[in-house]
Amino acid sequence: MAEKLVEIKNLKQHFNVGKANEVKAVDGISFDIYKGETLGLVGESGCGKSTTGRSIIRLYDATDGQVLYEGESVHGKKNKKDLKKFNRKMQMIFQDPYASLNQRMKVMDIIAEGIDIHGLAKDANDRKKMVYDLLETVGLNKEHANRYPHEFSGGQRQRLGIARALAVDPDFIIADEPISALDVSIQAQVVNLLKELQEEKGLTYLFIAHDLSMVKYISDRIGVMYFGKLVELAPADELYENPMHPYTQSLLSAIPLPDPNYERNRTRKAYDPAVHNYTDADDVKMREVSPNHFVNCSEKEFAELQERMAAKK
Amino acid sequence: MEKILQVKDLELSFHTFGGEVKAIRGVNFDLYKGETLAIVGESGSGKSVTTKSIMRLLPEATSEFKNGEILFGGRDLTKLSDKEMQKIRGKDISMIFQDPMTSLNPTMPIGRQITEPILKHQKIGKDEAKKVAIDLLRLVGMPKPELRMKQYPHQFSGGQRQRIVIAIALACNPQILIADEPTTALDVTIQAQILELMKDLQKKIDTSIIFITHDLGVVANVADRVAVMYGGKIVEIGTVDEIFYNPQHPYTWGLLSSMPSMDAEDAKLYAIPGTPPDLLDPPKGDAFALRSEYAMKIDMEQPPPFFKVSDTHMAATWLLHPEAPAVEPPEMVIERMKKFPGSRYYEGSAN
Ligand SMILES: Nc1ncnc2c1ncn2[C@@H]1O[C@H](COP(=O)(O)OP(=O)(O)OP(=O)(O)O)[C@@H](O)[C@H]1O
Ligand SMILES: Nc1ncnc2c1ncn2[C@@H]1O[C@H](COP(=O)(O)OP(=O)(O)OP(=O)(O)O)[C@@H](O)[C@H]1O
Ligand SMILES: [Mg+2]
Ligand SMILES: [Mg+2]
Repeated sequence: MAEKLVEIKNLKQHFNVGKANEVKAVDGISFDIYKGETLGLVGESGCGKSTTGRSIIRLYDATDGQVLYEGESVHGKKNKKDLKKFNRKMQMIFQDPYASLNQRMKVMDIIAEGIDIHGLAKDANDRKKMVYDLLETVGLNKEHANRYPHEFSGGQRQRLGIARALAVDPDFIIADEPISALDVSIQAQVVNLLKELQEEKGLTYLFIAHDLSMVKYISDRIGVMYFGKLVELAPADELYENPMHPYTQSLLSAIPLPDPNYERNRTRKAYDPAVHNYTDADDVKMREVSPNHFVNCSEKEFAELQERMAAKK
Repeated sequence: MEKILQVKDLELSFHTFGGEVKAIRGVNFDLYKGETLAIVGESGSGKSVTTKSIMRLLPEATSEFKNGEILFGGRDLTKLSDKEMQKIRGKDISMIFQDPMTSLNPTMPIGRQITEPILKHQKIGKDEAKKVAIDLLRLVGMPKPELRMKQYPHQFSGGQRQRIVIAIALACNPQILIADEPTTALDVTIQAQILELMKDLQKKIDTSIIFITHDLGVVANVADRVAVMYGGKIVEIGTVDEIFYNPQHPYTWGLLSSMPSMDAEDAKLYAIPGTPPDLLDPPKGDAFALRSEYAMKIDMEQPPPFFKVSDTHMAATWLLHPEAPAVEPPEMVIERMKKFPGSRYYEGSAN
């Protein structure tokens, strides 16, 4: 088995605790991310994907649970030096490129920020060259270095976020919808790029996205979230061929295909959480239905799923 | 069919530190009442700028209309005063922006942001407006909307913010709805709900929709017609079937070839080679020529005019000139053309 890079143990992130509008954004999820893999994370809008990513990278203090990076707790106390080292290893590409880029800074300085903090450039010329190279890597050019974020199109801004994350040469990148703002050709470019970088540098990705065909393409394994919980986790192909949780099935049935005739006649499968009929007595948790294929289910559902698996064989 | 909006010869530039960015270089299209026109195309090709110029939302100090007109209700929107434009914006024409955070006020609770345009454009009281707002939030699939009216944008997920923006845009039953990547931040199930919602609105009040998206699956689902943009121009426009099953422009071919299919192997994805044209100094011929294996000598010299493919379908490529040599489109595109009666690759029964 591959080496674990990140271990997420019963992570909880609640907001407005104790108030009427309390949100259990992440409500007890556990999974591991292996060195060099891409773990895809999909799920309903608002189900807690970004919050999971943000908690892992310590933008929030977790309400409960643990995140281990190379066996070390991320949320524990750290001295400044360790923190800095750690910040460099883990980078996040943010979902909302507009909100995450400082509007008053030029692209050159935005991208070089991490380079400066970590003292990665030998001199001013080296710094400039690094930024130019990064811009080229993400399909922009050096003329763009003198511009401000508002002078870019949505997709171009997203690529600035990618360049910024790559600047400090991280080991682990949390990519929160890094490609959804891009046109399909540039999506392909960026995905090819992420894969190449992965092969070259052994990078590990947590890849959050809504475009399921892209997620399938880039991920080794995929986790499906629903309302703060992980409901299914399986190798990418297995998940698509053999979705077991009804939410996953509903999700896969709703993927729009680039074929007008198909779209005119498509049917979707809706998910109603009431189908489970869970009672308080049910012990609902992640269970391994077939090797490496985990489903959030009750004892009874587990038995049914296993029966179904057996019947298939 | 009734034309509700006409964009004619639109040319628009930005004045930047580096020079004049010729972002829109002659865009023409009509929008019919009750239709959905999808605009697809390369990132940076001018989709958002085209629609923002309809809404007159570009920075006045740095942007300049160089040519053309935008006709709505007998008036040229490029010539209206700010005050006149304000009456139209959010009421007759409303827009869902690509980055939801740019259109939400971070310091105002979202409830007030939805009720404000309702109070401004409709003759109803505060309590009533609040009810309308809660209903709208429920309509866009926000759980427990009553409890969330007093929260601020940063307390919502990316997709929830996007749905708040959609609720605001729908608040006044606009005649034209411009939706710039409205569902990109949403999962496919909620996306499907929102698309249904927009179609319902369309049926109810005959709204015309301009829908910008990169997701060709979504285009296939919502669009009646599709315009393909590249380098500040529309390079192909036609019905959704014509664009998907009988595309003519090499850029459209590249676009359709770049998507991973659900059963894609682990091979590299196809990406159109090269980089987008420099809009500070746009190429003088076909802007796509440098990246196209189909480029001919004339492509480097003269911009192609529109050639008519059918009454509803036009493409700006010299390949359609009667004297151009016949070329074979990429394999993936031929597969599509086989489904299109009227294409020379047609193999029968599309349905
Ligand atoms: N700072 C906050 N305060 C209060 N609630 C929050 C905060 N941040 C997120 N939430 C809530 O937590 C839940 C999960 O949000 P999150 O951003 O993780 O969702 P997501 O899965 O990334 O969704 P999307 O796909 O729409 O981006 C949502 O209900 C959201 O409203
Ligand atoms: N305020 C501005 N100042 C200078 N240039 C701008 C400005 N806004 C946009 N541009 C430029 O105009 C061109 C068209 O931008 P636009 O936002 O319309 O692209 P788009 O087609 O919407 O792309 P995307 O799919 O990435 O959103 C781009 O080259 C962009 O860099
Ligand atoms: Mg998110
Ligand atoms: Mg745009």
